[in-house]
Amino acid sequence: MTKIPHISSSISRLTVSLLLLVMGMGSTQAQVTKMFTMEKDSIPLFCGFSVSFDLVGPAMLMLSDHGEYEGALRVNLHDQWFPIFEMGLGRANHENDEVTGLTYKTTAPYFRLGMDWNILRKKHQPNRMYAGFRYAFTTYNVDIIRENLPDPIWQTASGFGVEGMSCNMHWLEAVLGIDAKVFGPLHLGWTVRYKRRLFHNDGTLGTTWYVPGFGTNDKDQLAANFNVIIDI
Amino acid sequence: MRKIIVMCLIGMAVAACTSIDCPVNNTVRTYYALMKADGTPDTLKKDTMWVWTQRIDGTDTVISRQIQGNLELNCFFGSSASTFDLPISYTQPEDVLCVLLRNSVGKNYIDTIRIKKDDIPHFESVDCQASYFHTITDVSVTHHVVDSIVINNPHVNYDQNTTHFKLYLKANR
Repeated sequence: MTKIPHISSSISRLTVSLLLLVMGMGSTQAQVTKMFTMEKDSIPLFCGFSVSFDLVGPAMLMLSDHGEYEGALRVNLHDQWFPIFEMGLGRANHENDEVTGLTYKTTAPYFRLGMDWNILRKKHQPNRMYAGFRYAFTTYNVDIIRENLPDPIWQTASGFGVEGMSCNMHWLEAVLGIDAKVFGPLHLGWTVRYKRRLFHNDGTLGTTWYVPGFGTNDKDQLAANFNVIIDI
Repeated sequence: MRKIIVMCLIGMAVAACTSIDCPVNNTVRTYYALMKADGTPDTLKKDTMWVWTQRIDGTDTVISRQIQGNLELNCFFGSSASTFDLPISYTQPEDVLCVLLRNSVGKNYIDTIRIKKDDIPHFESVDCQASYFHTITDVSVTHHVVDSIVINNPHVNYDQNTTHFKLYLKANR
């Protein structure tokens, strides 16, 4: 006569097996967690502000007929991410061109908002290298004047141009920069920028010449800044 | 660090470059096509045509090259020329052009073409000459030898590959 196992003993055997399995898995998971536990980073997320101003724009204003005054406020997040707000005042005063006789004047603010990333492997050191982007825009009024423009055939002279023509431009910038600590909170740095025009309203005369913050009007533009940076 | 310095120097060099981007075709002129009544291109055949206007100081000025109806003289790329171009004033509200056509037996016909237009100042850059674009609003003619003149494209700008006016000469000239 064959002995039939009692159902209660089968259930208890299954329960014991499952408990052993779960306990085994728990100990394995603890071992894995122990192996890959990362050390806690001692650098906080918020590491302070820095303010900066550019020296290339004022130098261009001194040496030519257009340029910018520009400053920036940058937040340091964990020495890795740097949200940045830049603001400037662009100016052009090209009077009575010696060849074309044209006068071009504008003075207007411009604004940029973006983010830089510290692309160096060792983030927490005084020198940094950045890659980043900016979204920028400006609204500006421009005077374009050519007094007594002569008609070569009919020999009449006409006043050419407009005053206070309202224009605007929106553009994107790809930024590559370096930043080196000099002493204390003082840093010096370069940024090289590729600017790409997005939207623009050039008024009623066809096109404009100098756009504050962008440079001479084109679909794209290259520029460089030399920044004096102070950590706060 | 050396790579960074080289990259910065290249960036500065590129950023320091300036260029003057004035349009290559920077003349604003009106383009005419001689047409037959059936809509096919016409030529002056053996006729000669002069166009002139009057300057503000009162002196007459021939403003067009002499258009010779000779096929060889007006031949471009193996086909006969039946088009010509004329200047347009910067800011006069109406241009008055006088047309003298002398046929093959020496008979002269004179017509006057009046072109009304709106003038639009056009600016490219401080390095490029200022100019005016125009929108032609009306044209009329005295019908002595010119049967009719029609506005084909009212917008006058740097475009040289357009026809602003179609000029229909009388067949029995």
